[in-house]
Amino acid sequence: MNLAKWTVGLMAGMSMLAFAAQAEAGEVRVTVAEYSAKTGPYFEAVKKEFEAANPGITVKFEVVPWDVLLQKLTTDITAGTNADLSIIGTRWLIDFVQQDVAEPLDGYITPEFKGRFIDTFLSPSIMGGKTYGLPIAASARAMYYNKDLFEKAGIAKPPATWTELQDDARKIKALGSGTFGFGLQGKEIETDVYYYYAMWSQGTEILNKDGTSGLGTPGALEAAKLYKSMIDEGLTEPGVTSNNREDVQNLFKQGKVGMMITAPFLSNQIKDEAPTLKYGVAAIPAGPTGARGTYGVTDSMIMFKNSKNKDEAWKLMDFLFTKEQRAKFTQGEGFLPVNKEEAKMDYYVNNADLAAFTALLPDARFAPVIPGWEEVAQITSDAMQKIYLGGDPEAGLKDAAAKANAVLKK
Amino acid sequence: MQNRFLPYLLTLPSLLLAAVVIFWPVWDLIQIATHDVNRFGQLREFSGLANFAALAADPDFVAALWRTGLWTVLVVGGALLLSVPVAMILNTDFYGRGIARVIIMLPWAVSLTMTAVVWRWALSGESGMLNSALLGLGIIDHNIQWLAQASTAFPMQVLIGILVTVPFTTTIFLGGLSSIPDDLYEAAALEGATPLQQFREITFPLLKPFINIAIVLNTIYVFNSFPIIWVMTQGGPANSTDILVTHLYKLAFRIGKLGEASAVSLVMFAILLVFTMIYVRLAMREQRA
Repeated sequence: MNLAKWTVGLMAGMSMLAFAAQAEAGEVRVTVAEYSAKTGPYFEAVKKEFEAANPGITVKFEVVPWDVLLQKLTTDITAGTNADLSIIGTRWLIDFVQQDVAEPLDGYITPEFKGRFIDTFLSPSIMGGKTYGLPIAASARAMYYNKDLFEKAGIAKPPATWTELQDDARKIKALGSGTFGFGLQGKEIETDVYYYYAMWSQGTEILNKDGTSGLGTPGALEAAKLYKSMIDEGLTEPGVTSNNREDVQNLFKQGKVGMMITAPFLSNQIKDEAPTLKYGVAAIPAGPTGARGTYGVTDSMIMFKNSKNKDEAWKLMDFLFTKEQRAKFTQGEGFLPVNKEEAKMDYYVNNADLAAFTALLPDARFAPVIPGWEEVAQITSDAMQKIYLGGDPEAGLKDAAAKANAVLKK
Repeated sequence: MQNRFLPYLLTLPSLLLAAVVIFWPVWDLIQIATHDVNRFGQLREFSGLANFAALAADPDFVAALWRTGLWTVLVVGGALLLSVPVAMILNTDFYGRGIARVIIMLPWAVSLTMTAVVWRWALSGESGMLNSALLGLGIIDHNIQWLAQASTAFPMQVLIGILVTVPFTTTIFLGGLSSIPDDLYEAAALEGATPLQQFREITFPLLKPFINIAIVLNTIYVFNSFPIIWVMTQGGPANSTDILVTHLYKLAFRIGKLGEASAVSLVMFAILLVFTMIYVRLAMREQRA
């Protein structure tokens, strides 16, 4: 065996190792959720721009479909192989904070930086006085309505209350030819939220003041009865429990559904897929007392406590939350602006659709910050599906409230 | 002396490999299932059988357990019943047999998830292919919401399960059929045996070991099969099409109860282990007799 050859080989191997280690030192890994086909290319562009401006730091984005994000994070954290930064649903944040995996960002946040954000969207990421995440995506829900169907049915303006909505749905149903008055979502993610719209308008909250589930209240029962009566009367699309949010949105895009409640990104989809559809965006209908509520959602970017490159990671965060970057991302995905300066841009000010959403923000409820929230949401969705399929609302809600209270007590 | 140890020595490497691949994860699962764990799988204090007790008290788990049995029996049984004649036809010599074999095998080449996605579209209530076909043929007069309730969703899932299990089963049977010598049939035909008698006295008995293999392997695959049910209904509406794997997935990754989810997966492991042991024992005894 030629000793010299071995030595050279060994040295080469060692130097490569050293080189690799060096590259590792400035590497920032980020797990991001794939919101649409535009997410991947956007972060590709971020990587190029950021790396050019910050030599020595490399960025690695892992784009994960939203549906499996929580699963990936769970397994990564269990195995200790999580990235440095990640996008998470802000409603999961409490678990991350309680299990001590999220790093408080207050040490990095300057008053100037904090001033960039609209408070409504930053506050869900603050827990116990510490900021654990920055809102990377914000959204709310409002009601879309099909102007052509409204005109044909002789309806002058979008319904302001649920009673008006029922009347309008009847008129649209009477048009026949496969049109449905109200698109009701009954499958998969946010099935529970679709029910809360009716529940909030009864003045009932997800959690009562004493921390128990609101499902057991008379308001919750009224809301469930409202949806059930609409299904029984044929005012919704048939097969409610087989339609998830995308399915109902597709029916709306096809012009088959008169009204539905969903997020601002539907406007972007209509622009691309059904540009001739005439639609409007209005407030979510109010209840008998004038109460109404919309669902506010933010996703946050967090830093992991076990990150070895926190300073580099923060630099990237700082970059992501500049006005220019925010505008590019938000407009591509169809979210609401979280940055004050960004919100003043012409794009948002002159956009009637988005104006309807921002007008609803004072009525926005965010998912309650409690451990076990996902389980309570699941219980609510299951109960609603049973009711939509013909179950008794009173018994179903009573059972769900008992289950939810058992979770909440823990 | 050496002879007695040699077999063990020879199997040792693969045994070690199996230990790393199989026993280590199972050991890990036992750890998680018998501890109080947080959302991210970090162990807290030992909790004994508390997670298993929680399962037994959960009506959704019990329902999923029974449904998994039904699902497995229907899909495996259906696939077997369908595969025997298909394999026998494909084993005969006819023009275009090559193409016929490819067509039968094709579903196997497509990923299970993709198959399920396509079927989800096909079964969509308002714009699905199946409804338009049935309406066009005049078989139904209004759209059926296939996936809206378990009474139509679950049978469709079983049918699709059978469809995707047939190619593999047929392959096993084709192998079995080609190992049966033609002379047997010729001799039987000379003696005046009808095709039915030939099937009962020659084909079936000689195919039996292959049927046994198909039953064991298919049971394991189907019992653990996730994509069809998850993609089409996510076990819904209201958990009414859940089988154990989908229930497990929801427990672990939606709700974050990793302890109970690990307990479910141990229960599944135990059921399959016991089934396989009993079945192999029975099948081998039969063969010796």
